[in-house]
Amino acid sequence: MSTQPVLYSYNLPDYAIFESKKDFDYYIGTPDNTYIVLGRSNNIEGTINCENVKQDGIITLKRPSGGESVILSPNMLIFSFMYRNDKIINPHKLFKIINTKLIDNLSKIGIGNLSSKGISDLNIGNMKIMGSSMFTKNKTIFYHGVLNISEDVELIERYLMHPSKEPDYREKRSHRDFVSSLQREGYNLSKEELTKALETSILQIKEELKKI
Amino acid sequence: MRYIFKFPDIGEGLEEGVIIQWHVDKGQKVKMGESLVTMETDKVVTEIPSPREGVIAARYGKEGEVIRVGAALVEIELDSSEADISINQEETKTQQVEEEGAGVVGTLEVAGNDFVLTASKEGIHEDNQTKSNSVKALATPVARAMAKEMGIDINLVRGSGPAQRVMKDDILNYSKQDSKPTVSKSIASENLLEERVEVEPLSQIRKTIAKNMIQSKHNAAHMTVFEEIEISELDRIRKKYKDYFKEENIKITYLAFIVKAVALALKKHKSLNAEMDMEKGVMIYKKYYNIGIAADTEKGLVVPVIKNADRLSIKEIALEIQILADKARDGKLSIDDMKDGTFTITSYGSIGGLFAVPVINYPQAGILGIGRISKQPIVKDDKLDIGLILPLSLSVDHRIADGGETSRFLNTVMSYLNEPVGLLIY
Repeated sequence: MSTQPVLYSYNLPDYAIFESKKDFDYYIGTPDNTYIVLGRSNNIEGTINCENVKQDGIITLKRPSGGESVILSPNMLIFSFMYRNDKIINPHKLFKIINTKLIDNLSKIGIGNLSSKGISDLNIGNMKIMGSSMFTKNKTIFYHGVLNISEDVELIERYLMHPSKEPDYREKRSHRDFVSSLQREGYNLSKEELTKALETSILQIKEELKKI
Repeated sequence: MRYIFKFPDIGEGLEEGVIIQWHVDKGQKVKMGESLVTMETDKVVTEIPSPREGVIAARYGKEGEVIRVGAALVEIELDSSEADISINQEETKTQQVEEEGAGVVGTLEVAGNDFVLTASKEGIHEDNQTKSNSVKALATPVARAMAKEMGIDINLVRGSGPAQRVMKDDILNYSKQDSKPTVSKSIASENLLEERVEVEPLSQIRKTIAKNMIQSKHNAAHMTVFEEIEISELDRIRKKYKDYFKEENIKITYLAFIVKAVALALKKHKSLNAEMDMEKGVMIYKKYYNIGIAADTEKGLVVPVIKNADRLSIKEIALEIQILADKARDGKLSIDDMKDGTFTITSYGSIGGLFAVPVINYPQAGILGIGRISKQPIVKDDKLDIGLILPLSLSVDHRIADGGETSRFLNTVMSYLNEPVGLLIY
């Protein structure tokens, strides 16, 4: 009997905006369930704890964008946007614009000590609270990020192995010592407040993209 | 003239990337901006567009291989017009060409100073020979390759380029004058093909449909039974309640009755509401009755699910169908709306078609197809009468449901639809 969970293509609601006929579209929402989402090149073996995942019946998906595997859960917010344009946009520059706007708007609702680390992580102090990735196809950029509001980091420990690649600032720390949530860092904000801050950020990013 | 395109830093300051998928083959023509390859770096998966127009002369690296930034990705044999620019520069040896890559994402930095090379050693050699021996024509590599492919003796073609160099257009013009039917035929066929087909990338939903259909056909043993049922009584009751619920803005459809009939019939025929787990060697009989409704949307087929349909009234089912149909049309269905179906109904009759062989929504055991309702002559009490006929097509996984049980299930569904008052009681 196979010990590996079935791997499905990424089909969460945010991905629908990739096929939007608009030049810019976005999605902010809470996952309806707990999912494991593998990066484009990740393999199940060596990435997730198959036994625990199968035992708990967790759905495993593979996204089209790069990066390492993540957990999505109803205690997190996923936010995504697509942008269709002929202009050349440097991903590094785009990540910088996005994180600058996120820090700006999340700070305004009271979250302190925010910074951008690694390629695109958002941190409180030295603890990661948001991860993101991106992919482009047919002159369309698709960006998605996930903000951990209150999910227990033990969930990540249970399902995800230590990633094969890591940013320098992680310094081989375990998930438990590297990832955190807004709640764990002392910020008990409502989903509505956070959604509004993310939406404001995305709309500001749209304006910035127009200037490029 | 050959252009070596190196893997650019796509903006993360990283040293390497993985080849995810090649979009071009050796010998293929590419236009500027056309996607060459999809690459993945730590956080970004991106298509790398061609910075120039020409023919792919070589590509480096297989899918899954790691390529370092600055390493050659492809060699492009430049098109004649682009090559002309470089030809004029050839006399002063290889020159550096300042150019920004036409990347979709990221500034495609053209790596190295020697990316424009003379077309090939053969080209240089022949050019030199031309000077000393006028037998061989001076020509661009593209023109030479094109002439070879078309079977044209390039030495017979008058060149319009610098120093009477034979260009791509010269070959094309020559081929038009040439009376050889094979040449003109191949060009005509090529043009015709471009006009006759439209190539479109697969959408995510189309990929999912394809995967699910193949999975069903590969794993289930399909068997289909066809039946017809007279539904005048059902029509009478539907019309009565349709008007009754009109004020509440609820549309009572035939489908609502069929969903209820199927859910109740499934309770009596458990194998039609089952799933086979071959790995564990078990049959899973489900004690909940969630009916999927296959819906045709602009983007493709989706199957939202009416949960616990056996416990819902006709009115509640009708309302649920309305809500799910609206969501499907607006592309707002969530995974929750589409999961946990135990049996599926596909109603194609409203579009057209009497009978079909529906593909099972695997791993479910069955799917019921609803055809177009039509008035037909029937025999009633030994007299010819007009009946309202509903065609039914039931596909089952023959591994799970035997023929006898399948027919009995269909008979039960039909008996409910024949006596629809019974459906209102449950």
